[in-house]
Amino acid sequence: MSENRRYDVIVAGAGHNGLTAAAYLARAALKVVVVEKNDWIGGAAVSRSLHEGWTYSNCSYVCSLLRREVARDLDLPKYGLQVIPYEGGGSFTRGGDYFAYYSDHNALRREMARHSPRDADAYHRYSQAIMRQCRFIRPFLLRDAPDPASIRPRDLGELGYLVKKAWGLGKRELGETLRFWTMSIGDLLDEHFENDLIKAHLAGSGIIGTGLGVYSPGTAYVLLHHYMGDIDGGIGAWGFARGGMGAISAAIAAALKDHGGTIHTGSGVSEILTRDGRVTGVALEDGTEFHAPVVASNMDVKRTFLKHVAPNALPDEFRRAVERFKIRGSSAKLNIALDRFPAFPAAPDHASFIRGDMHVSESLWELERAYDDWKVGRWSERPYIDMLIPSQIDPTMAPAGAHMMTVFVQYAPYDLEVGGIRSGENWTEDQRKAMAETVLGQIEVACPDIRDRILHMEVRSPLELENEVGLTEGNIFQGELTFDQLFFNRPLPGYSQYDSPIRGLYLCGSSAHPGGGVMGAPGANAARTILRREASGKKLRGYAA
Amino acid sequence: MSRFDAIVIGAGINGLAAAATLARAGKSVCVLEQAAAPGGMATLRLDDGPELAPLLWNLSPVVLKAFNIDPATLGLGAPLPAVALDPGGAHIVLRGGWATSLSGETHADGPAFQRLHGQLVTYGALLRRLAEAPPPGGGTLLSQPGLAQLLRLSRLGLDLKRMGKPEMRRFLQVLLSNAYDLILDEMPDGPLAGLLAADAVRGNATGPRSPGSVFTLIYRMGHGGEVRRPEGGMPNLIRRLDEALQKTGCTIRTGTPVARIILEDDRVTGVETKGGEIIEAPRVLSSLGPKSVLGLTGAEAFDIEAARRIRHLRTRGTVAKVNLRLTAPRVPGLPDDLSAARLVYAPSADYVEAAFTPSKYGSLSEAPVIEATCVAAPDGRPWLSANVQYAPADLDGGWDDAACDRLRQITLDTLARALPDLPGAVEELQVIPPTRIAAETGAAGGHWHHAELALDQIFALRPGNGMGRYAMGPRGLYLCGASTHPGGDVMGLAGRNAAAAVLEGWV
Amino acid sequence: MSIFADPKLGLVPGPVHDRLAEQSRAMAWYDWAGYIAPSVLDSVEFEYFALRNQASLFDISPMHKYRVTGPGAVAMLNRMVTRDIRKIAVGRVGYTLWCDEAGHVIDDGTLFRLGEDDWRLCCQEPMLSWLDDAAWGFDATITDESHTVAGFSLQGPTSFAILEAAGLALADLKPFAFATPEDGLLVSRTGFTGDLGYELWCDWDAALPLWDRIWKAGAHRGLRAIGYEAVDIARLEAGFLTAGVDFQPVHATERLHRGRTPFELGFGRMVDLGKGHFNGRRALLAARAAPRSRLLRLDIEGFKPARGALIYDRFNRELGHVTSGVWSPTAKRNIALAHVKMPQAEAHPARLWAEIYTHEEGRWTTRMARATPMKAPAFAPARARATPPARF
Repeated sequence: MSENRRYDVIVAGAGHNGLTAAAYLARAALKVVVVEKNDWIGGAAVSRSLHEGWTYSNCSYVCSLLRREVARDLDLPKYGLQVIPYEGGGSFTRGGDYFAYYSDHNALRREMARHSPRDADAYHRYSQAIMRQCRFIRPFLLRDAPDPASIRPRDLGELGYLVKKAWGLGKRELGETLRFWTMSIGDLLDEHFENDLIKAHLAGSGIIGTGLGVYSPGTAYVLLHHYMGDIDGGIGAWGFARGGMGAISAAIAAALKDHGGTIHTGSGVSEILTRDGRVTGVALEDGTEFHAPVVASNMDVKRTFLKHVAPNALPDEFRRAVERFKIRGSSAKLNIALDRFPAFPAAPDHASFIRGDMHVSESLWELERAYDDWKVGRWSERPYIDMLIPSQIDPTMAPAGAHMMTVFVQYAPYDLEVGGIRSGENWTEDQRKAMAETVLGQIEVACPDIRDRILHMEVRSPLELENEVGLTEGNIFQGELTFDQLFFNRPLPGYSQYDSPIRGLYLCGSSAHPGGGVMGAPGANAARTILRREASGKKLRGYAA
Repeated sequence: MSRFDAIVIGAGINGLAAAATLARAGKSVCVLEQAAAPGGMATLRLDDGPELAPLLWNLSPVVLKAFNIDPATLGLGAPLPAVALDPGGAHIVLRGGWATSLSGETHADGPAFQRLHGQLVTYGALLRRLAEAPPPGGGTLLSQPGLAQLLRLSRLGLDLKRMGKPEMRRFLQVLLSNAYDLILDEMPDGPLAGLLAADAVRGNATGPRSPGSVFTLIYRMGHGGEVRRPEGGMPNLIRRLDEALQKTGCTIRTGTPVARIILEDDRVTGVETKGGEIIEAPRVLSSLGPKSVLGLTGAEAFDIEAARRIRHLRTRGTVAKVNLRLTAPRVPGLPDDLSAARLVYAPSADYVEAAFTPSKYGSLSEAPVIEATCVAAPDGRPWLSANVQYAPADLDGGWDDAACDRLRQITLDTLARALPDLPGAVEELQVIPPTRIAAETGAAGGHWHHAELALDQIFALRPGNGMGRYAMGPRGLYLCGASTHPGGDVMGLAGRNAAAAVLEGWV
Repeated sequence: MSIFADPKLGLVPGPVHDRLAEQSRAMAWYDWAGYIAPSVLDSVEFEYFALRNQASLFDISPMHKYRVTGPGAVAMLNRMVTRDIRKIAVGRVGYTLWCDEAGHVIDDGTLFRLGEDDWRLCCQEPMLSWLDDAAWGFDATITDESHTVAGFSLQGPTSFAILEAAGLALADLKPFAFATPEDGLLVSRTGFTGDLGYELWCDWDAALPLWDRIWKAGAHRGLRAIGYEAVDIARLEAGFLTAGVDFQPVHATERLHRGRTPFELGFGRMVDLGKGHFNGRRALLAARAAPRSRLLRLDIEGFKPARGALIYDRFNRELGHVTSGVWSPTAKRNIALAHVKMPQAEAHPARLWAEIYTHEEGRWTTRMARATPMKAPAFAPARARATPPARF
């Protein structure tokens, strides 16, 4: 065994969380290697050029949740990360109207009043309510989730912190918070607003990436999950990473390398090696072995334990629990190279909201029906689409005058139903094309000339997300964001602190608390846990000290 | 003009329980009921049909204690078997969580079902601790009620700990999740899974895939998960409670609807009946939901936020009652010993979810979930009393005769899939849509629980933030019905808890 | 695709923007509820003195205005606001506040009783959805008049004479009363300056001719169009509060405890706890005895405006902060409004200190100045109340 394949920590998977964990660990003077099955890095935070001259943010496509602590700790701006906020968004209707969600609050107010004067007012109270919830939840993102069944001082301490924060809300606000966490985005919006189009526009964030409908309890929390980010203190603001989402991964990777870490691409983990209940390293698909007392897996919990750990190395109950983990694919993606800017005939001239996220859903019930389609194994007849043209702002994405469009699609099942059989295998080329047709039909509501503008199109069903990125069933959050899989239940009760039954084996991906989104929090938290538990006695630089 | 310590509006089980609890504490109580007899929704009968709720799941011994009734003397009968009807005729019989075929062989998924059933019953017992007291939040930490609450919560914590770490964690994991996944993680989809899924959503406007349906499933299992039919039916049970209550000296006046609650300087002073009579009391407990109470006081008695919460309380009933008059004393296609069983038509969990889907949009389920049981009638031609779900209160086009006819047909067709000889043995069908239930009983939306049992409408948030401790609005005004914690289901705890909360703050 | 400015963004002109734009030399505008509103038209100093010495015309059309009508309007409004509005007679205007269920102030404003069951509410914050909530369960209709009714504030000693010259004889109009001298024109003797003054209300489309008519009538009486900075000085002299500055409307707070009760704002007299239930009454009954803070009018030594200053007691313990502070050119005092902690601030009210931050010639410094609570507003001239009013 050659000495240069011995490491302090091996990180399996070069997604943004794996890279983040690795960079934190390397920064603490540990010898770290990241192994990645693809020839490129980034996982779902990736930019690739599939059509010459155009860069796609192939999977994730906008950024807000990246913790500013992570950006600062790893000095990401130094490595080229630039996040540019984008301007609002809008929803188009089949009747030729639109709702523009301007970032300018006066314009937004007038626009809302155009649809409902009452809702324009109600939006004030609504957004304050959301902000209050964000304020409450944000401190928990970079803290460990306590195990309520444990009486270790750390867990009791974290539990105490939670109780203190909850108590601090006061009786009434605590009640509102509990309600907010347990209700559906549909019910929440119905309480505040009367206009269907406004409600539909605001509801999108409650269902993106989930196997839930707008009227499923718990979706208000999912909305929060999308709102709790910020850009330069603009809470809830979203933006583009210059150069596509891959720029985030690239910057983290550069930080990692700067701290002496290495990245090994082109061959994925075939097995996580263990001996006597302790991890010893990983064997790669090409036969290479890396050895380390600590392995952090950026893969989701199912993939990590069901595909890459020998079954006899795990307690049966744990395996059962992993098998029960819910990780349902519900999203698809279209990435489109456009020869020039498509027309949005319904939008006013020079509309700024075209530079934001655009949708074509008109009511909560339409969104709920989209979910009903998914439940029975079909992509939605009228899917919710989240559509952006980042090349309007980011000059690096497409040749001058040409454009790149990213279209996120909710819902598309992983286990597509064909002839009564539900399976990921059913995603044939024809099925993907048929889905793309459905989505293009939706895009046409906003830009009727879209088909004439297409130079190249990448269509990603949940199956491609699984095969390429490695997300089981193509679930973008590495696991549903439902109560049974959040906070101390994420990914599994008793294992919410990044650890596993195998000593030295940790999870550092979105399967772990606090969950998905290009946030970097699971990676950073996992690194902190690893440093605390495994690196005692070692000389640490900076972060964990 | 008469004076009491407290007035209870509504003589449903919760109103009676509230009155009994107060009366046992030595308070003078007057119960006012609009209908001709006590019993509320449980005993509601239309056109000589059977009572609306013939089965007992959750009657609380704590409540019976308030009535000073020994449960053993009540004639609650033996637990009924359940039959998970199978469209292919392979019906599954359930006795105490044990699943067999009609001929008595253990079902392949029987052990898995029993395990899950047992788990749910354990969880149910745990949650019952919470159900048997008002939600925390009354008084300060150091006051007597505050300490009592702390004690109760610590006991619950201790019980949790006693389950052992893995079970405790599992409980905290599944509590807020959806029944569909919980069930199908343990067994393949089929009539057994369907039965549990159906029980999880019964009475609610939710489907088994909606988070929160595990909670409602556990709710059903709160008192062991057994279903009984009281001897002499629900009216007999209510009669016993009524008698016990009368013994305490409590006044019960039926046929006395309340026109308004009288307020003076932000406190309750009594009620005025529709007959114009004034009855005085410094406390009024209402079994009606908060919206109806607001109608009795006027919105000006409440803060705007409270009124807003009341307005947004979700109370959409989804169950219609269909009573099928049979020509013969038993259900054709089932052995004699199962003629009194609880029959459930829900061939799979997916079926239940599919039944739910159209109801979201105000349509009838074309293939509904049905729970039915035979209720004997004096002439030997029993009623098959069926709960048909989903039949939403806000049906598109309204509940006109055509809609009722349609529901009759759907019910017959659906049952015929499992019991092909049934339609030939039915001579009459009564349909009671949720709107009719609402009109007859005052329960908003005709909802079984007066308000949706959803995660954001339970416990201290039931029926709304700031109303979880039964008091609402002006001093002396309380809720005591199913719209409050813990909810409905002929359990009586809501009423009993409300009275307990009233007594806590008695001055 | 090239990027042009989106014409839908930003501010929009009010009903008399053309006139204001003609007047504007300072080109200093601000955002008032989405409208282009003047901060200053030429100079604050002269605009202020026009207000106190002659007359001033200020466009208040961006105010939010709501009509509440119907047989349930009185009950609905009385449940919403803290004072007993049944005591406001038809033809009268009442100042009032309204609270959330916790007794924290949502906003303040004026209620015009246009008829037995016909009211207009004028306020700073958008209130349509709140009124909508408040009207649930009442037979009352809410109409948003914010963009259909325009208003000007004509304030100053010659304002009565100007109205007279404009053909509007309102000699008998008492403070807090209004009249409709002509169809489509409502004149109330109200204002935000503490001086003699009127507010004129008309249809949005009728605003321009009305402005011109007043303008013409004021030509020989020193009438001047002014911006908000001059109004701000005047309102502080009169001791009036501005929502969002001197108190945070509770619906616009993320930290709910930052809401303030009317008692804490010094408006206990505007709270009628005996009128029956109204929103927040139960919380206010409990909060009345123990206010957490108090809004004080302060007279601060020196002449450096104390805006943003922290308040300390004599032991140098921080007690609160100044929300608005200005040198009063008329009262010749340095006045301020400040929130101070209770009951600490009550212990030695005469010994408060303000830490004022000044920026002079590129350098920030602090100075401690004695701050003395004032019982009355700095400026409350008798001419403001005289009926009939004087002509100058």
